[in-house]
This record gives sequence, structure tokens and C-alpha cells, in this order.
Amino acid sequence: MLFTRRLMLGLAMAGSMAGALAVPAMAEGPTEIDLFFPVPVDGKLARDMGTLIKEFNETHPAVKATAVYTGSYDDTLIKTRASIKAGKPPAAVIMSANFLLDMQIENELTNLDPLIAADGTTKDQFLGQFFPALQGNAVINRSVYGVPFHNSTPLLYINADKAKEAGLDPNNPPQTWAELTDWAKKLTKREGDKVTQWGIAIPCAYDYCGWMMETLTMTNGGRYYNEEFGGEVYYDTPSMLGALTWWNDLVYKHKVHAPGATPGPAVSTSFISGNAAMMMLSTGSLTYVRDNAKFAYKVAFIPRNVRNAVPIGGASLIVPAGLEADKQKAAWTLIKWMTSPEKSAWWSRATGYFAPNMAAYKTPEMVDFLNKNPDAKTAVEQLDVAKPWFATYKTVPVRKNLEDEVMLVLNGKKQPKEALAAAQKAADETLKPYNAETSLKLP
Amino acid sequence: MKLIDALWKDAPLATRREITPKLGFLLTALLALVWLIPFLWMGVATLRPASDGINLMAELMPSLKPTLDNIRDAWEIGDFPRYFLNTTIICTGILLVQFVTITLAGFAFARLDFAGKTLIFYLFLMQLMLVPVLLIVPNLRIVAQFGLYDTLAGVMMPFFASAFGTFLMRQAFEAIPTELEDAALIDGASLFQRIRHIYVPLSLPSFSAFAIISVTSHWNDFLWPLMVINSPDKRPLTVGLSVFTATAEGTQAWGTIAAGTLMVIAPLLITFLIFQKRFISSFVTSGIK
Repeated sequence: MLFTRRLMLGLAMAGSMAGALAVPAMAEGPTEIDLFFPVPVDGKLARDMGTLIKEFNETHPAVKATAVYTGSYDDTLIKTRASIKAGKPPAAVIMSANFLLDMQIENELTNLDPLIAADGTTKDQFLGQFFPALQGNAVINRSVYGVPFHNSTPLLYINADKAKEAGLDPNNPPQTWAELTDWAKKLTKREGDKVTQWGIAIPCAYDYCGWMMETLTMTNGGRYYNEEFGGEVYYDTPSMLGALTWWNDLVYKHKVHAPGATPGPAVSTSFISGNAAMMMLSTGSLTYVRDNAKFAYKVAFIPRNVRNAVPIGGASLIVPAGLEADKQKAAWTLIKWMTSPEKSAWWSRATGYFAPNMAAYKTPEMVDFLNKNPDAKTAVEQLDVAKPWFATYKTVPVRKNLEDEVMLVLNGKKQPKEALAAAQKAADETLKPYNAETSLKLP
Repeated sequence: MKLIDALWKDAPLATRREITPKLGFLLTALLALVWLIPFLWMGVATLRPASDGINLMAELMPSLKPTLDNIRDAWEIGDFPRYFLNTTIICTGILLVQFVTITLAGFAFARLDFAGKTLIFYLFLMQLMLVPVLLIVPNLRIVAQFGLYDTLAGVMMPFFASAFGTFLMRQAFEAIPTELEDAALIDGASLFQRIRHIYVPLSLPSFSAFAIISVTSHWNDFLWPLMVINSPDKRPLTVGLSVFTATAEGTQAWGTIAAGTLMVIAPLLITFLIFQKRFISSFVTSGIK
């Protein structure tokens, strides 16, 4: 009894000594930081993100990160901006990759070059970890402003059972617009005037619509925007006119695509339910399709008219301007950890986004996963033809200038030519203040 | 049919023989039915088992094998009891402070004379023309300066004064005959006693009308609390619910969403059903018959 009491006392003493010794080092306590994250895929991901951050906190006692859910990509931009202006910036944000340029123009981003240099790595070494296609949205004026976190490209999803039924070969998917139109015609089922199965569904809601227009325009040889300068978009051009006219024809001429502007979730719902035999949608939806499709499906590249090309999508981790040095350092630790090959690979398997870090595909879990799910390879292969996502001054309003007009076209209220002329006029107006400060500021 | 007859008996005698009121009544009944459809769907979708698949999701016909799984899922995804508490604190806190501010401001505009009264009143009304989104950044900056960023008090603060409420109370107080106040004045009542014993009791219908509008709008507010709140344990219902409803890519578990939405609106809906008669009468009667 006594002995144990003594032992206990001794232990307690030792404990308090150790505690006393540890106090100077721990006086500060962990650096508390907030990470803003949108949920672009599915509610379950909010829990996955919680798991990820919990693991980070357990392995990094010097930092205490809190994951703060901030709505959609667009809401996340609003909240980040508002909190910067209120003097309460978060330490890191998962930001839609095409908002970086606009934020950099407004001086809302921390240049990451010094942080990379402090680690003793060169910029090329750092960027070299990621797929080349992703660098365009992360690097502005040769400085790094974002670290790719989860990325996507649009894919063509095909209901293989229905394709076989219609006498088509799902292992030989359509490669051109002409072939796709032909497939969509064969996959549309009608009873009298009523369509019981649509050939194809393409989403059009704010955010998605602009991305799909960029996809179709690029496969038609176009550029959508000036990659080198944030003050120009190319809406009223032959490449975009061809793209929108084809989309419009699928709806009103061939009648193989449902009329109206359909949001992304409605598109995936109708594909899963067999109401649409094909869809164009982000690779970010792949996990959902894999978990819910009760039929054999195939994923393929987006068909081309002029060339194969797709924009990247998804998000990068950024550090807002105006942070204290210790928070900045803690944020950098978190960002490096989240974009490491292992974590990148884990998140990719959870979501369906591809992992931007090339080394992620060398991890044994990922090799194993790809052998089991070869469909996850398509998006990665398509990266060879991927290009940056449109990014301009005031990206969101400029994007909406086009989206509003495209929605009118899909609703049968406007013709493509006049719609694009109106979109160009509105976008030029939105970009005017920036051009007045840059390209039109003459000596 | 019995219900319609019963309702019809409430109509004044003269109107029961005319045709136009009957038509109007029918139209109202139709509108009510259209308004009910989303609620019916929400109830049906909430109880639909996942095995029904996505094809039946839009059906209004209830499933033959109803299940409570969706409600359980929604309940587990979010910390709903805490969200309910936060939303309740926000709504009651705002309303209590508003009662004080709109009573005093309304009284000042209705009964006191001071320089620039009309101009100030119009400035007050101009608030109603502003889109709330415009005020996010300036409001957030002020909230942060007060040290209320990421607090429930910070969510409430911008709504403590209400232009609409002030206008409503001014109209209500103006309708009260000054003779009543004069009588109290002769009895030696102070200004605050006159407000407390004459103006407030006679304007109760206006207060309850305002309470409904205030509570429903703040109960459903999403963007502002999303801006102010960071800590997960301070989320109100709307932000908590959107974690699994606002998705851009992928798709949505409609059953879970319906269940979550039902949980969020249930308290309001039940309150409305209980006090329905009083609500409606408060909008149509003024303080004086």
C-alpha cells in the first residue's frame, strides 16, 4: 500500500517535473488556424474532411486546425473576401481554381514563393510534383499563388447496357461530335411525342454552365478567354458559336437532349435512373456513379469537333493576404500535408477527383485501386489534352454574363448568335475597369 | 366537403347567396392546394425507402413500405439539437431587442416632434430598398470590430433595429386616438408609462404580425450566418442543413434532404398551425374597432 502510494507520489512528482520542463516550450499552445472548405460533391465529404483534419491535428501538435464548411464554391469566395475585409482572414482556403487570378488582382492572396524558398526547394521542384496541366491556374506572373488540391476534367459517361441495347459498342465510344450526335439519336426513345429516354444530358447551372461551355468551345478549337491576360474573353467567336449551336441543335433540332437548363445534380440523377443514356459531367461525380449505378457504365474522353481538349476544374489551396507570420507558417504546414502523395491519393479515392500530385499514383493503395476501378484512369489520361480553367478579372460576373445567355438559348428564348453577341457585350462591360487600368492605360 | 361547408358557415349571411365570393373561395382553395404540393412531396420523400430508387423520387404517391431511415440519417449527419438551439437563440434574441427598438422608434416617429423628423424617417425607409448582400462586407467589418466575429451575438447584431418594424409600429401608434394618451397625461402618467399602458397593449396585433415576419426571415437566413460563423458548434439550422444539400458536382440524396428540410421547418409549421387564426387576424385588424 505504502509502496504503491510512494510510487504514485514519485510518478506524480516526475510528471509535474516533466510538465514544468515542458511549459516554456508549450507556453504558446498550438497555433489555431481555420481552413475554409466548400463541399463540391456530397454531404459525406464534409465528414471525410473532418476525418482528414482530425488526423492532421493528431500528428501535428503545434497546430490546431479547424475545418470550416463554407457552402458552394461561389459562397466560399464571398465568405473569404468578406473575412479578409473584416480583418479576420482564415489561414487557408480550398478555393475554386479559377478564382485565383481575380483574387490576385485584388491583392487578396499571399505569394507562396518565399514559403517554398524557405523550405529549400526551388519553384520548379515544387511545381514539378503536380500534373503540368494544373500549373496554369496556380501560377500567376511566374509566382506560385495556389497549390492544386483536388482536380477534375469533364468526362462523357455512357450507360453501357443501353448502348448495347441500341446496337452500339460501348467499348468503342463516340470520339467526334458527329458520332456523339448519332449515338444520342440512337439512344433516344420516344412514345409518340413523348420522350421516355433522352440520348444525352449536359448540365447548365451557374458555375457548371460556364465550365461546360469552355469544354465544348475548346473541343471546337476555341480558347474562351485570354490565358495570358485577365481582361479579355472570347464569347462572340466562331468556335463558341459552333459549340452553342451544336448544343442548341441537340435540344431543338435533333431533340435528343431535354429542353431547359439542367443543374448538375439533376443530370447525374437522370443518368443513374436511366432517364438519360449519356451525360457530360465532372470526374468528381465518378464515385457517386460507381456507388449508385445499377447498370454497366463506361467513361470516355469528351468528343471533339476540331481537336481534343478539356478545361481542368476543381480547387486549389490558397493562403489569404494579411495573416500573421505564425499562422502563415502553420497554414503552409497544413497545405503541404494535405497535398502530399498519400493524402492526395486518399482524398481522390474518397471523392472521384483525380489527385494533382503525380506521386499519388505510385502509392500501393492507388495502384491497387486503379486496377480494381480502371474507369478512374480516364480522367488522368485526359490530362494530356487538358488546359487551364478560364480565369479573368471578376471571374464570377464575367462567367454569369455568358451563363445567363446560354440558359436563355437552352430554354428556347434566344438564338445562339444573338445570345453570344449579348454575352460578349455584357462581359466587355464587366471587364472595362480592369482594361482601363491595364491594356487601355496609355502613356 | 364537410370542411368546406363548415368554413362556408363563417361567411357573413349576405355573401352566402352571391356567386362571386364562391368563385373566390374556390380559387383560394385551389391556390392552397398548389401551395401544399411541395409539403406533401417532402413528407412522402422523407418516408420513402432508398430501395425505391431514384426513379420514384418525384412521385407524390407514398411508398407502401414507409421508413424512418432518412430521418435517422439526417439526424446523424448534423448535430441538429445544437443547430435548433442556435437558431432559437438567434431568432429570440433578435426579436426581443427589436421589440424595444421598434417600439421606441415607432413612437418617436408617430408622436414626437423633432427637427428633421420626416427626412430621418425617409432615410429609415430607404433601408428597405437595400439588397442585404450589399451590406455583408461593411456589416462583417463592424461585427469584427466589436469582437463579435464567430459569435451568435454577431449574427444578431445587424438586425437589432428594423426599418420595417419601425414603420409598422409608427402606423399602429398613429391609429391610436390621442384622447387616450391625453387621459393618461391628466392622470399624471410619464412618457414611458403611456407607452407601456396605452400604446403597447393596443398595438399587440401589430407586434405579433411583426414577430412572425421577423422570426420566419431570420429562421431561414443562410448567407449572413454563413459569413459570421466559423465554429461548427455555433451553426444555425440553415447552415447545418446545407452541408448535405448544397453540392455542385455529384448528386443529392433526396430522401435525406427532404427529412432534414422537414426537421428545419417543422417548428415554424407547427407554430403556424396552432396560432393560425391569430396570425391572420393580426394582419387584417387594427388596434381599434
